[in-house]
Amino acid sequence: MEEKSERIVSTGKKHGAKSFFSSWEFALAIIFIAVSAFCRAISPNYTPGNVLREMPKYLGEMFLLFPMAFILLMGDIDISVGSIVCLSATVSCFACNAGLPIPVVVLIGLLVGLLCGMLNGFILTTFVELPAMIVTLGTQIVYRGIAEIVLGSGGSISLKDTSGFNALAGKVGPFPYLFFLVILFAVAFAVVSAKTPFGRSLYAIGSNHNAAFYSGVKVQRVRFIVFSVTGAMAGLCAVFLTSTLFGANTTTGNGFEMDAIAMAVFGGISTAGGKGRLAGGIISAFIIICLRIGLGQINMNPQIILIILGILLITAVLVPNVSSKINARNTKNKVLTRK
Amino acid sequence: MPEQTPEKKQSLWKRITASREASLLLVLIVLCALIEIRSPEFLTFSNIGEILKNNAVIMIMSLGMLCVLLTGGIDISITSTLALSGMTVGMLFKYKVIQSTGLGFLIAIAIGAACGALIGVIVSRGGVMPIIATMGFMYIYRGLAYLIANSQWAGADALGSFTDFALSSSLGFGVINNVIMITILCYVVFFILLKWTKFGRSIYAIGSNREAAEISGTHVARVEFLVYLIMGLLAGLCGALSVTVYSSAQPNMVLGKEMDVIAACVIGGVSMSGGRGSVGGALLGSLILAVIAKALPLVGIDSIAQNTVKGIIILAVVILNVVTKRMMDRSNLERRKI
Repeated sequence: MEEKSERIVSTGKKHGAKSFFSSWEFALAIIFIAVSAFCRAISPNYTPGNVLREMPKYLGEMFLLFPMAFILLMGDIDISVGSIVCLSATVSCFACNAGLPIPVVVLIGLLVGLLCGMLNGFILTTFVELPAMIVTLGTQIVYRGIAEIVLGSGGSISLKDTSGFNALAGKVGPFPYLFFLVILFAVAFAVVSAKTPFGRSLYAIGSNHNAAFYSGVKVQRVRFIVFSVTGAMAGLCAVFLTSTLFGANTTTGNGFEMDAIAMAVFGGISTAGGKGRLAGGIISAFIIICLRIGLGQINMNPQIILIILGILLITAVLVPNVSSKINARNTKNKVLTRK
Repeated sequence: MPEQTPEKKQSLWKRITASREASLLLVLIVLCALIEIRSPEFLTFSNIGEILKNNAVIMIMSLGMLCVLLTGGIDISITSTLALSGMTVGMLFKYKVIQSTGLGFLIAIAIGAACGALIGVIVSRGGVMPIIATMGFMYIYRGLAYLIANSQWAGADALGSFTDFALSSSLGFGVINNVIMITILCYVVFFILLKWTKFGRSIYAIGSNREAAEISGTHVARVEFLVYLIMGLLAGLCGALSVTVYSSAQPNMVLGKEMDVIAACVIGGVSMSGGRGSVGGALLGSLILAVIAKALPLVGIDSIAQNTVKGIIILAVVILNVVTKRMMDRSNLERRKI
């Protein structure tokens, strides 16, 4: 267990070279380079062009990472995002098959996601005693259940006319549109979390939500906004997922919530709230994506990739914990010998 | 915790609504009565036996989850542990490495306990948040189950005599099915464990107030380790059970059911922040979920809408819980005014 009292909100700016090199983000950047080199060594097809071509399959999940990072910073959790992706993808497929123009379809997808997120936010802010884990567990089952009802007995739908979604999957040079959108959102979310009062209030809520409340942060309003935004981003993820899958079924988006949480935690964002930076989450997302692409290229069993990701996740949290424990013990011993 | 009220005499209705288990029991009875009116074949001996047998896995694992939740933790790796132990036993029978049913169960339990112990060490000694640690192991154990399966699966013919265990009632004196008997045994053991042993009470103590428990001499790390070990052990047992009940071993078995186990506990009044919950609550919670799942087709709700109904019921129960708690608090406050 992390102890809340150890958390220090620094007042002064840290700009020294030492703090930069000892930061978790710097370690992640090195891991990223190491992973890229490793993939290049094991797979001859691991070239920038190929990586960019395969990336859209995985990039969509990053839309879930940004708001999930916000939620984790507040000390909450949302495990319903995968189901929102499923429901939103299903509804937009139906809308597209009904002959609606593609901008309307995209809007409908976003709207479905937003509504789901708003429902999460509404329940959580009306009944503040309830833990987010339980509420989103319930809505997770409900949203996927609704998608199952909509899909009917067949359990899947495929697009009749893929031209609209093909346009979404277009490219500028080697870069897919999606890539620019991800960068855009990454910058936007990073700036909001680091530079705006809203972003700082996320950290305040995560560190101590009572203290935040008494210092004038509108805790419940912030939570409602963040959960709603999460829903809308899940809708966006669903739209781009549809543009690569050209359809939806009852298992669409299965496990996406876990992937998003894993990316955030690997990036140094604590699930206890109030600790971590979005930059770490973004680098770790690219590490995981590159690893998946590289290992996928040498036809490695997807289950082994899952095992590797699980081990990475646990070590990423374990190593800083254990090393800080050893540090604490050493300083304690020093104090004792001085006496 | 029931609050001490100044008046000794309380009306029966108040006593029922104040006790979580009694109100759940009431809900279960009303539910069963309603279904019985709609379809009279519901409350037959064989049908109840069937429900219990098919939900034994969820019922047993909710006991372990109860302990984990009581300490304020969570374990979402249980179904992966189940798949790993079940798959191993299935493969051992398929390739005729072992023949005896008892040995199969022992191996499954040992694998489960080892899986749980590893999680326990990481959580209690490594200080990793339970949700993160178990999420990692959820991937790892499920992946290992696929590796052991090696794109094979064990069917009824491969399992041979192992499947007979779920059909016979040798443990239950020829009356009660073996699987149900094991479930009952587990519940009795855990009822005693949590109510009357030092270990059980220290689980509650940790969940109520970790620092206070630590200072008053509870080995927090050791108890936490044991809780995850027990959870793994039960998941391993359930691995063997689900192989015999469904007479097949596949690497994707009971995928995603860990949420059902957590939901059963939460419906049964177990608090996710620790320290509150009981064996009776876990039993009633998992029974209510089981009855609902069985009853929906009987009362004419399409099987396709089952998940939606289940989710809405979970939400309704937890929200109702909060509303009644608020009402109780308010009436307690009013009573204090003179």
